[in-house]
Amino acid sequence: MLLAGCGKPHEVSFAMWAGDEARNRYFETTVREQVRVKYGLELRIVPYGHTGEVVSKLVTEKGAGKVSGGSVDVVWINGENFRAAKRAGVLWGPIVMPRLYPEAAYEKDFGTPIEGLETPWQSAQFVMAWDTARFAEPPRTLEELKTWVKAHPGRFTYPAPPEFSGSVFTRHFLLAKGFAGGLADLREMKPYLWKKGETYPGTVAEVDRLFANNEIDFAMSYGPSFASERIARGSFAKTVRTFVFESGTIGNYNYLAVPFNANDQEAGLTLIRDLTSFERVFDMAKTLGNSFPQKGEPAGLERGVATLPLEVLRKHFLPEPDADELVKFEQAWRAEMLLKP
Amino acid sequence: MVRYVVWVPVVFLLVRSLAGRWLWPDVLPTEWSGRAWGAVRVEPVVNSLGLAVVAMVGAVLLGIALAGAFRRSAGVRWAVLTVALLPPLAMGVGLHGLFLRLGLTDSWWGVALVHLLPATPYAVMAVAGSLSRFDEDLAAQARTLGASGWQVWRYVKGPALLPGIATGAAFAFVISWSQYVLTALIGGGRVLTLPMALVGYQRSGDEAVAAAVALVFLGAPVMLSLWVERGWE
Repeated sequence: MLLAGCGKPHEVSFAMWAGDEARNRYFETTVREQVRVKYGLELRIVPYGHTGEVVSKLVTEKGAGKVSGGSVDVVWINGENFRAAKRAGVLWGPIVMPRLYPEAAYEKDFGTPIEGLETPWQSAQFVMAWDTARFAEPPRTLEELKTWVKAHPGRFTYPAPPEFSGSVFTRHFLLAKGFAGGLADLREMKPYLWKKGETYPGTVAEVDRLFANNEIDFAMSYGPSFASERIARGSFAKTVRTFVFESGTIGNYNYLAVPFNANDQEAGLTLIRDLTSFERVFDMAKTLGNSFPQKGEPAGLERGVATLPLEVLRKHFLPEPDADELVKFEQAWRAEMLLKP
Repeated sequence: MVRYVVWVPVVFLLVRSLAGRWLWPDVLPTEWSGRAWGAVRVEPVVNSLGLAVVAMVGAVLLGIALAGAFRRSAGVRWAVLTVALLPPLAMGVGLHGLFLRLGLTDSWWGVALVHLLPATPYAVMAVAGSLSRFDEDLAAQARTLGASGWQVWRYVKGPALLPGIATGAAFAFVISWSQYVLTALIGGGRVLTLPMALVGYQRSGDEAVAAAVALVFLGAPVMLSLWVERGWE
């Protein structure tokens, strides 16, 4: 407001992962326009390829004593990055917002107590995709999947952890069978994987490509609407559908936080209030096909052709294990699956 | 022949960027779409071009200034080569703290300055190469005939060094143009360039948009190489 007199619009900068063209466009047009009209703020997107980049930048800035006038007012964050940011003390808070989300979303983020340092925004849940044109029914449990993989050598793989989606895939075995049992199951499947399990795709994009090219039979993602979006983009066949395991699939919330050296904390909170409002979250679910993360289920929400209904996803929602155990499991996976012959 | 082979990936990228639906086992897309080109933004192109031009001009000026010293002094040679061989990441992490204290992070000029660093050694080496083939007696002769220092440079030494200057300029341009790590570190995400846009889309697996951005990214170096090639003919 102080700057309003100078004729220069007051800026609020939002650091977000910017690899999704549809989301980028939504923020650059709809959100920017509405934030300007409603609050007189000029939204500035700070795009990054990986959240860790923002956290390490903040840690460096703290070390160099840059305690104000930072370049980021709001950051999109969760999981390991939140834990690192909280430990380094580079987040401002506690942030108080209306409690529109399920209570669990305010308590722990991958096992790390939140204590108001971030506020829930969107949610993600693991789903797998298969092509109904190739076979009608996918395996519905981890045991069935294991049997399927052994019966169809070379037709299944997952991105090598710590890649996000591959890592969460392996964690289902951790949750179901414990540390040693989960690892044993994955080990058992290894020789039947794509390329005999001697190598794994490095990215989920590579798995998508193998799946679309009919080299493997399943794709996977942490975004429940990923298959619908790929169909719309023309990279998946129109007959692709998604499924979850009967015992559930792992999901998590992602959050918004304000860095300790934000240039304008008030503007940051204004932006957070807008982004986490019912209207915004509903509109994002409608426009971008994100799943609706707040309490209740609003009427008039259409979902993509391959996306599961909200109540199915919610009924099968499993929380993430502790971030420390997760990292240990990833390390064990690498030692067991990659380094051992 | 070689000239045409170079265009194969370009044609592939063009088709990829315009493909609306392209599934295995189709050889060509079954649907076409302009979606990917709609996602190409002007800001990264302008930033990348501006930074590359600044790096080019700055590196050439430094190249001309340092080429003599580079030939004479082993210390200067060592310093220049070290900067050229140092991985940008190592350089960037070290410089980030320094730039923070100087208030140069998150700014366009900070990024321009840091681009100058990897670009300069190539300009110095290119100009020094031309300089080694230059006969200093020619400059002395011109001076004997009454030429001023500026005239010697303008009519004798400058033209003789031109191939080195052009090569150095092209190198400096391309090095700045393709810089990712230093831009991300010093620019803090606030200075958006083409490589940053490209990496973002490539990581997310949006191949169509990545192909469109890659074509724009290829544009400047291709034009530059055609121009340099014509200069040699």
